[in-house]
Amino acid sequence: MAADRLRVLVVDDEELARRGLRRDLAALGGIEVVGECADGFEAVQAAAEEKPDLVFLDIRMPRLDGFEVLSLLDPGIAVVFVTAHDDRAVQAFDANAVDYVMKPVDPERLARAVERARERLRRREPLPLAAIGAAARAPGEPLSRLLVRDGARVHVIPVDDIDSIEAQDDYIAVHVAGKTHLKQQTIGDLEAALDPRRFVRIHRSWILNLDRLDRIELYAKDSRVAILKDGRRLPLSRAGHQRLRELL
Amino acid sequence: MRIGLFLAVALLLGGLAATILALGGGTGWEEAIWLGLPMGLVEGAIVLAARYPCQSAPIREGLGRALATQATAALVSAGFWGVLGQILAHMLESVPRYAGATLRYRGAAPMLVVVGALVFLLAAAAHYLVLALEAARAAEVRGVEARVLAREAELRALRAQIDPHFLFNSLNSIATLTGEDATAARRMCLLLAGFLRRSLQLGGRDRVTLGEELDLVEEYLAIEKVRFGARLEVGREVDAGCRDALIPPLLLQPLVENAVRHGIAQRVEGGTLGLRAVRRGEEVVVTIDNPKNPERTGRRGAGLGLENVRGRLRSLYGEGARLEIATPPDAFRATVVLPYSAAVPVVQEAGLGG
Repeated sequence: MAADRLRVLVVDDEELARRGLRRDLAALGGIEVVGECADGFEAVQAAAEEKPDLVFLDIRMPRLDGFEVLSLLDPGIAVVFVTAHDDRAVQAFDANAVDYVMKPVDPERLARAVERARERLRRREPLPLAAIGAAARAPGEPLSRLLVRDGARVHVIPVDDIDSIEAQDDYIAVHVAGKTHLKQQTIGDLEAALDPRRFVRIHRSWILNLDRLDRIELYAKDSRVAILKDGRRLPLSRAGHQRLRELL
Repeated sequence: MRIGLFLAVALLLGGLAATILALGGGTGWEEAIWLGLPMGLVEGAIVLAARYPCQSAPIREGLGRALATQATAALVSAGFWGVLGQILAHMLESVPRYAGATLRYRGAAPMLVVVGALVFLLAAAAHYLVLALEAARAAEVRGVEARVLAREAELRALRAQIDPHFLFNSLNSIATLTGEDATAARRMCLLLAGFLRRSLQLGGRDRVTLGEELDLVEEYLAIEKVRFGARLEVGREVDAGCRDALIPPLLLQPLVENAVRHGIAQRVEGGTLGLRAVRRGEEVVVTIDNPKNPERTGRRGAGLGLENVRGRLRSLYGEGARLEIATPPDAFRATVVLPYSAAVPVVQEAGLGG
């Protein structure tokens, strides 16, 4: 944030809406619009390349919606959501102190949101990503795809394709058909978002896609191991074994 | 209660048979009662069973057929009854003091058969009356149910009609245009006002013409065109001959809205929304199709709108109308098929008279 000039990215699939926001931001002063994006993929890419301070994010967009984009941004970035009408999203924002403006955009409200974003950046306050993502999802609607960012590239992984997920410090390693994708998320947050009838926490650091399980073997007294259809062996904790037995 | 009715009828008919035997055949009363009572029981059963030929040959499907059926049934049942009496009389002869019962029975038999046939026809008439009353009651219940369903569907449809997302986004477009192109902003305002006004107008009526509904759809599309620009294209193929067809109001509008919201808007490159209406014999067929983003599988919220349309068609037309959905991986197509009934061209008729 050089010389207090805020670097801003504007993301909305409607050209007219982007134009309006850009004009309103220009009127505020002290803001440089470093990019405009018409869909979520572009937004993630532009955020990785331009490293803006603040992103204005529409919720309903093609390819990736606003929440999916949010989950792929660096937590140090500030975000203001822009929405025409999303009751549940607005509740999630209010509950998590995330800023938003409604369409049509009120310039005063916009000015306040920009001011609060500056504050947040000064305090280096990270976004509560997991909480917003969970609150914005419809209750009872499990995650259908997992998004992983690799630099400026986004991989979309349908959850059906996931074999297993492994916790690695602050990251999770997602194993998909022999490949491994790293994502910055806690294994507990991901577990909560997945369908509990298909994905089982079999160990402190492992989640297993139930479809991939071949059999369970006893390899020492009171100690078991899960054997997958591709021959891989995953550790099975006592609680994990209990959860598996309940589902099988 | 049914058994009581049966016994009363059987007793009455038994008495009738005994009387005919006693008076017509010169049978003694004791013997007449022995014969008459079992015959009464059997005729009672026949009279109740007369309901079935009545059900299988309803009068509304042809009076001739009903009459023929009942006449045949009356003759067959009366003949059977007469023969049964003969068998009973024969059996009675095994008791010595009733010797000659068969002969005495024969004297009264023709009269018994004629009365049996008449009783059957009388019973058939009564059954027809009962069936008609039952049908009227059932129709009344169905009618009430259909009205309640139709009203509920209308209310839901109207409430769901104006998508808040559409409304606020359009207002946002106007707000943006105000600062840069006053004429365009004003035009958008007029489009939105026109759309809202026409929605309210059409929504308050029982039926509108397909032409009126399509005009509303065009106003809606003109607004969305301002928002989506080149991303939204529309292909139209509307048979001029079906614009006068009557349809429930705001039936197509939500389908077009779905096509924009869940189809075109979900594609970065947009696409062409297809709008086709043709008359096919006694039916009007309206098709709305759109390309869709195959990555976005779930049409969240769209299901409810489709259910709504389906429910309205069912409550208004029963089996006479339908909504068909086709979902190849990269497209979505909704087809509404309605019975064709034309609006009365009031103005033209007045013109002919003058």
